[in-house]
Amino acid sequence: MNKELKKRGLRFYASIYFKIIAQDFKSKMSYRADFVISMLGMILTNISGFVTFYIMFQNFETINGWNYYEMLFLYGFSLIALTPMQCLFDNNWNLRYAVYDGSFIKYCFRPINIFFYFISEVFDVKGLGQLLMGSLTLGYAWYHLGLQMTVWKAFLLVAALLTGSLFMIAIMNLAAATCFWLVNSGFVMVTMFKFTEYARYPVTIFQGIFRGLFTFVIPIAFVAYYPSYIFLRPGLPVLTCLSPVFGIFFFWISYRVWMLGASRYSGTGN
Amino acid sequence: MESIITLKNVSKEFKVLNRHEGIKGGFQDLFSRDYKIIKAVNDISMDIMPGEICGYLGPNGAGKSTTIKMMTGVLEPTSGEILVNGRIPYKNRTENAQNIGVVFGQRSQLWWALPLIESFKLLRDIYQIEEKDFKDMMELYESLVDIKELYSKPVRQMSLGQRTLSDILAAFLHNPGVVFLDEPTIGLDVSMKSKIRDLIKALNHEKKTTVILTTHDMGDVDALCKRIVIIDKGIMLYDNSIENLRSFFGAYRTLRLRFAKDASQLTKEALKKQAAELAGDLKNVYPQAKSIGVSAGEEWVDVLLNEDEIALMKVLNHIQETRRIYDVQLKEISTESVIKKIYDKEIE
Repeated sequence: MNKELKKRGLRFYASIYFKIIAQDFKSKMSYRADFVISMLGMILTNISGFVTFYIMFQNFETINGWNYYEMLFLYGFSLIALTPMQCLFDNNWNLRYAVYDGSFIKYCFRPINIFFYFISEVFDVKGLGQLLMGSLTLGYAWYHLGLQMTVWKAFLLVAALLTGSLFMIAIMNLAAATCFWLVNSGFVMVTMFKFTEYARYPVTIFQGIFRGLFTFVIPIAFVAYYPSYIFLRPGLPVLTCLSPVFGIFFFWISYRVWMLGASRYSGTGN
Repeated sequence: MESIITLKNVSKEFKVLNRHEGIKGGFQDLFSRDYKIIKAVNDISMDIMPGEICGYLGPNGAGKSTTIKMMTGVLEPTSGEILVNGRIPYKNRTENAQNIGVVFGQRSQLWWALPLIESFKLLRDIYQIEEKDFKDMMELYESLVDIKELYSKPVRQMSLGQRTLSDILAAFLHNPGVVFLDEPTIGLDVSMKSKIRDLIKALNHEKKTTVILTTHDMGDVDALCKRIVIIDKGIMLYDNSIENLRSFFGAYRTLRLRFAKDASQLTKEALKKQAAELAGDLKNVYPQAKSIGVSAGEEWVDVLLNEDEIALMKVLNHIQETRRIYDVQLKEISTESVIKKIYDKEIE
């Protein structure tokens, strides 16, 4: 009666993941109007952010020593770094509903990792519009700053973007996981998501306690500022060098906390 | 034969905060260490044999869900031992999950947006089902129900009945040793209910799958279960066959009466009113017969009585003298009434 398990490694999960995403994408495309409108909405939201930026720089030459194109660089960078969180980890927004109404229990019945199972369920296409906006902005800023593109720089850019994404995902994982302990965890997620908008500014514009807060407690300074420092300023701050390691570590912590919450969960009964 | 599920003196306790009233009480609760212990499941033991369909019954809040959650590895028991397929469920959640199937509540466990066949294919990959076994299973399914027409339908567009059907098929897909079904027929119409029951019966027969069924619908129990386990307030009240249970009530009879010709007078409200009047009447005339119970069924008013206590004909005579009867049926005690008597602690 007992069937032996084959090893469920990275390949197993990757293959399952791509199958789910492909199917989900296909079904989303069948609601074409829905797809186009949500895409348009995302682009419009970002254009309005862009306009704010533009007006601001009509009045100031620089902000805290950062010029227009450097600020655009950070802006574009943070938009791209946000994309993986929005496209791939969007189901975190539904976690608290699943936990409160008891439907989260269904994720405990399959022989696969609970975090994976839950997260893989939703692929949000809206994030792709943001990716497009971010890439255009970053490319535009890159060009005007006169930065060269070499293989090494391309590699650094990808690594820096991945680092920023890891921080972004980890912050939202932790925010979502609070619902395993708190009854009103919705505001935690919303607040954290609002904070991530500050990721597009250099952390040096914040003073004292806020700077410490945004660097070490809610590490949004690591989403764009520290990883992109390497392209914009000479010299290498220690925090920039360490950011990929921190990113992986922070993501791992957020995963452990999420799983701890899940194992604490026992459903709300019937 | 060795049992496939073993529970030995299993208990589960929950710590619940004693809540105080009002705003002041709310602040007290913040710092309070004033917990009370609630025993959701209290010292339960049972052995389930391979291939059995076992009804697991009890009123709401009896501890059924808690027991199922322990057997599926979601909850850890406070004390006692559980073995499912020879494993301790909560210690190897994923391995245990590989060998069980679960339909829990009315929330579909399939991918909401995907066509059914894609959900099945994903499950094939997740459970690592061999291609041949998968094909055989699908052929079996197609021979049992009209599932082919649902293949291309996304789950979210399905009716409740179609979704339930799909969820049950999904639970059996990897040919698990045990399938847990939690109220599989709730909310379904009569014909869909019987379709689902036939399907469960057929799958149990074909695959020798052990089925643990929780339900409030005695139609499910009559159609599927030979054995039932009843718990209330965490304590096991009964574990044996239904036949055995009925024999306790051998002298009980159900008299089914119809006091109106016209179907419009057989509505739920009308039947309830008729039943209430008759109950008051019988209580007055036979105050010594404690066993008499009157209830409104579907299209009938049911009078349940113990013939050791009072003769059925005597009661029928009295009723006939006082009101017009259009139709009469005589039945053994129904499973429903038996279970109700156990819930009400009328039998030890």
